[in-house]
Amino acid sequence: MIDKELLKETLAAALACGGDFAEVFVESRQVTGIGLEGGKVERMQSGAEAGAGVRVLAGEATAYAHTNDLSRDGLLRAARIAARALDQGLKKYITLDLTTLRPPVSFAVQQPPETVPAARKAEMVMAADQSARAVDEAVIKQVMVGYGDLVQDVVIANSAGVHVEDRRVRTRVVVNAVAAANGVMQTGTEAAAGVMGFELCERHDPAEMGAVAARRAKALLTAKPAPSGRMPVVLAGTAGGTMVHEACGHGLEADLVQKGLSVYGGKLGQEVAAPSVTVEDDPTLPGRYGSYAFDDEGTPARPVTLIKNGVLVDYLYDRLSATKDKRESNGHGRRESYHHKPLPRMGNTYIAAGRDDPEEIIREAGEGLLVRKMGGGQVNTTTGDFVFEVAEGYLIRDGEIGPMVRGATLTGNGPEVLRRVSMVGGDLGFTIGTCGKDGQGVPVSDAQPTMLLGRRGEDAPIVVGGTQATGADRASRAVEALDPWGPEFRLRRIRRL
Amino acid sequence: MSNADFLSIAGAGVETALRAGADAAEAFVTSGTSIEIDVRDGEVDTIKSAAEKGLGLRVLRGRRTGFSYTTDLSPRGLAAVAQRAVANAGLTAADEFTRLPEAAPGYPEVDVFDPALPGKQIEEKIGLARRMEAAARAYDPRVTIVESATYQDGTVEVGLVNSNGVSAYYQGSVCGLSIALTAREKDDHQTGFAMDFRLRFAELEPEAVGREAAARAVRMLGAQPQKGLEAPVVFDPFVMVSLLGVLAPALTAEAVQKGRSLFAGRVGQRVASELVTIVDDGTLAGGVRSAPFDGEGVPSSRSVLIEKGYLRGYLHNTYTAAKDGVVSTGNGVRASFKGGPEVGPTNFYLEPGDKSPAEIIGEISSGLYVGEVLGMHTANPISGDFSVGATGFWIEQGKMSYPVRGLAIAGNIRELLDAVDAVGRDLRFFGGKGAPTVRVRKLAVSG
Repeated sequence: MIDKELLKETLAAALACGGDFAEVFVESRQVTGIGLEGGKVERMQSGAEAGAGVRVLAGEATAYAHTNDLSRDGLLRAARIAARALDQGLKKYITLDLTTLRPPVSFAVQQPPETVPAARKAEMVMAADQSARAVDEAVIKQVMVGYGDLVQDVVIANSAGVHVEDRRVRTRVVVNAVAAANGVMQTGTEAAAGVMGFELCERHDPAEMGAVAARRAKALLTAKPAPSGRMPVVLAGTAGGTMVHEACGHGLEADLVQKGLSVYGGKLGQEVAAPSVTVEDDPTLPGRYGSYAFDDEGTPARPVTLIKNGVLVDYLYDRLSATKDKRESNGHGRRESYHHKPLPRMGNTYIAAGRDDPEEIIREAGEGLLVRKMGGGQVNTTTGDFVFEVAEGYLIRDGEIGPMVRGATLTGNGPEVLRRVSMVGGDLGFTIGTCGKDGQGVPVSDAQPTMLLGRRGEDAPIVVGGTQATGADRASRAVEALDPWGPEFRLRRIRRL
Repeated sequence: MSNADFLSIAGAGVETALRAGADAAEAFVTSGTSIEIDVRDGEVDTIKSAAEKGLGLRVLRGRRTGFSYTTDLSPRGLAAVAQRAVANAGLTAADEFTRLPEAAPGYPEVDVFDPALPGKQIEEKIGLARRMEAAARAYDPRVTIVESATYQDGTVEVGLVNSNGVSAYYQGSVCGLSIALTAREKDDHQTGFAMDFRLRFAELEPEAVGREAAARAVRMLGAQPQKGLEAPVVFDPFVMVSLLGVLAPALTAEAVQKGRSLFAGRVGQRVASELVTIVDDGTLAGGVRSAPFDGEGVPSSRSVLIEKGYLRGYLHNTYTAAKDGVVSTGNGVRASFKGGPEVGPTNFYLEPGDKSPAEIIGEISSGLYVGEVLGMHTANPISGDFSVGATGFWIEQGKMSYPVRGLAIAGNIRELLDAVDAVGRDLRFFGGKGAPTVRVRKLAVSG
């Protein structure tokens, strides 16, 4: 895409006014988006975008300039803008060698998006629609299906001599079904996505996904509103990892810790969770939505254990936060695109499987709430308070799974909830999402085994809220846009696909 | 680029599409620059500057639509984008209401560009962020951490050409300040946030923004959990704005036509308390979402959607208007050149009433003042149901008596609008959405 000589020249221009470190991130992306609604393929979009970001670090300060002019002039102009922004009044001439790094893992793409005819992608979308409607023609009033694929080619080079070329391929399918009867309207969502090509649709049949979404929406029509108050909660292994993402994931990002914005700050080596809780983030898992071979600073990906048997052992680092702590990045510097500077971010975050039997966990809960599927959530990392929605929940009565309920939202405090994990199952199920932080959205996945929060007869750590809300996901467009001018752009949250 | 360069690139996009086999075409071209400055402890933490241009091409083949975009505005880039758009049009369903707008006789005069902005030096912009941060710290010694104190501005040029003869251009700008901070007392940490976006640089008030964020955090120190009950609830303007964000999609004709609006079929009916008037105004003076025309070249306008509780109509783009046999309201908005014109709000707000916030609170013997909510993005815009975490103040005998946290409030936005029994005169905008302080008679609060 861009040859090494021009990268070196750009890095030299970026450091011409001083600075400790310079980096060029060049990106080219091709996307396809298909949107179906009302039984018709309404949107068929594709796009090509290319651009570069130049970053200069001087002390604790960062300058970042980006452009979509990838000519020599365009790159050098961006480099000079970044250089001048932090002008140290020094003249610095650098010479450097760029060494191309080999990826620690490679994710084989069996059916690259560009080799699959658009008509075939559209067929999958229509199949999902038809099977969703077939669940019950009378009550399924609307079906929305989104398909999206992306091929992102990046070139990363920095003044430490790192040179990386990487291709990332991601595909996703989202089905949202709306059911209505007797004045009640409910929605059900099913989504699949991963670092892979069109083979996603073989592993997750869109037709089956459509039926699952429609059945969930239909079942919610007759579900009773959730109870409210404190009660033991069982999160099933199928529920996804929203809880771990919100209750501790964000709080373990090193930039937030360093700014004093995390309840987990200064607690390395301390017990921050029940001994049965081990939390890991592993971007090298094949095919997950948060997988990558190199992070967006060119650091090779690696698994990181964050909490081991209840003890906090590490944070998620990018290069800048690692430098501040006088250590190496652990490969979690990610960015949404060349428009953004990298930040410490999660990849595939999960609570490791334990040994308890999921059925025994439900029996042990006694009276409470079983969550089979979680929706989106949000956290205030400073206090650790979080909230997430329940997309599919059931009452637990006398240790047995009772009727479905709708509209539950769970609120709690991360450290408190993690300390009150009383049982951990042997199962583990991943879900996918787009994680938002400082106005940047990145693809992630997360998981946890079946877990019991609180215990029978104790004051539970989770408040179940909501008397009539549905707690269902919203439809997600195949082509997403975050709104950096909106009032919520500083929030750390996850939106489920 | 100049006005003429702009329209010539857009025109070339349309020509290329017609040559590639499109029956009609529309090119939307933007070019913009922006800067964002983060200050921490009086020092510059990050300076980010951007230059971006791109073209979005919408084509029609018969009654089928295709869309594609590119950042490559060379003749080769235009040829590739045209080919992709035309191919995409072959795969969408035909729809008899698909069309591009006709040329408008004229566009409203809307003030959307601050000529003073390009002349502002970076030092002055850094200075605003520093003053905001300093004011926040000076407000109270318990303000211990400023997470970010940010100045940002952007200027954008927009050109739109279609094969029906639309050819339009404008230059716009916006600037703003935002700050996020934490106040601490012993082990208690509370966060505060404030923002202010303006058309005019001269209208930015850094000290006021800094003090507001500090006040929001400091007042929450010592917040306690509270037992749940049903009670009158007062919403801070910032919280009311996020509730309006849930409401806005339901007032688009797109949602109505697709059977996913809770307002479908209710024009002329009472849908809210008589105190509720909701307006979308793309021509609002000083509005950060104001523009002479929308994302398909239709003149912007002011639409009263709910008037004193009665539903008056919906937001339209050219497609939904054709389907309903009405005229587009100029709400074919685009998030960027990377997307087509969807139906969406511009400056969307709840009109102010006549009470002061103190009067609204003063009339409550026991209730909740909600200062912040967590998880509003999980609300369901189709059903209008929401269930969110809340923090704020417990109101006793007409006074905010003590801060509370860890609550959950739940309800339905339609029922909430019905239950509004007071609207403040303190309308405030947060970006493109605005609301005053609002009180509802009763809402479920769980603790």
